[in-house]
Amino acid sequence: MTNRLRILRAERTWSQAELAKRLDVSRQTVNAIETGRYDPSLPLAFGIARLFGLAIEQIFTPEPKA
Amino acid sequence: MRPPQFGSSDTGSDSGDASFVEPGCKGSLTARDVAYQRRTNLWVFAATLAYLGAKAALRWRHSLPRALPWILVGLAFVLAILAVRSYQVFLRGADELLRKIQTEALALGFASGAVYSMLYPLLEGLGAPEVGGNATALVMMLSWGVGTWLGTRRYSGVGAT
Repeated sequence: MTNRLRILRAERTWSQAELAKRLDVSRQTVNAIETGRYDPSLPLAFGIARLFGLAIEQIFTPEPKA
Repeated sequence: MRPPQFGSSDTGSDSGDASFVEPGCKGSLTARDVAYQRRTNLWVFAATLAYLGAKAALRWRHSLPRALPWILVGLAFVLAILAVRSYQVFLRGADELLRKIQTEALALGFASGAVYSMLYPLLEGLGAPEVGGNATALVMMLSWGVGTWLGTRRYSGVGAT
């Protein structure tokens, strides 16, 4: 799954730590999501979407099936 | 009994963010995780002391009051159960990535212990040195620690697999 989290965060000039604090997760979690190494749980994905005022599918995009 | 120390290094690729980490919140742990981990470590420390005390009391049981070894062994059991309970609470409330890393590490620890306990006796039959019953627990704990380290590295992007 790809996502626009890093772009959205950069638009608000938030650090990873700042975003992590707003989402009540660790900075490692934010970093792992941004770099595509970890897909967030559904509650966290909703939390991210709510925080940025967007729909989940505007942030996360599933990888096309090969 | 001792849980592994969770990765605390800021190994994220966005290194410029490191200065924004608030006190008490390491890269892979939230402030809540740190508090729960401290509490778990205290219980583990107390349980370890009680275990060592019980071992010593059993060694010198003939020169001690009869009830003392029973009390110390009972105390070791109670404290160990409380330490496990504390770890369970820590895991339930943990950051979701940390919970995933820990769950995978626990699975690795359990599987390694099971494989070791079943297969090592075969090696003993071929002449490998005999080891005590505590070896299985040691293998489980070591594998758990290694699993935690590997998971932390993987999701931090260091040596990603």
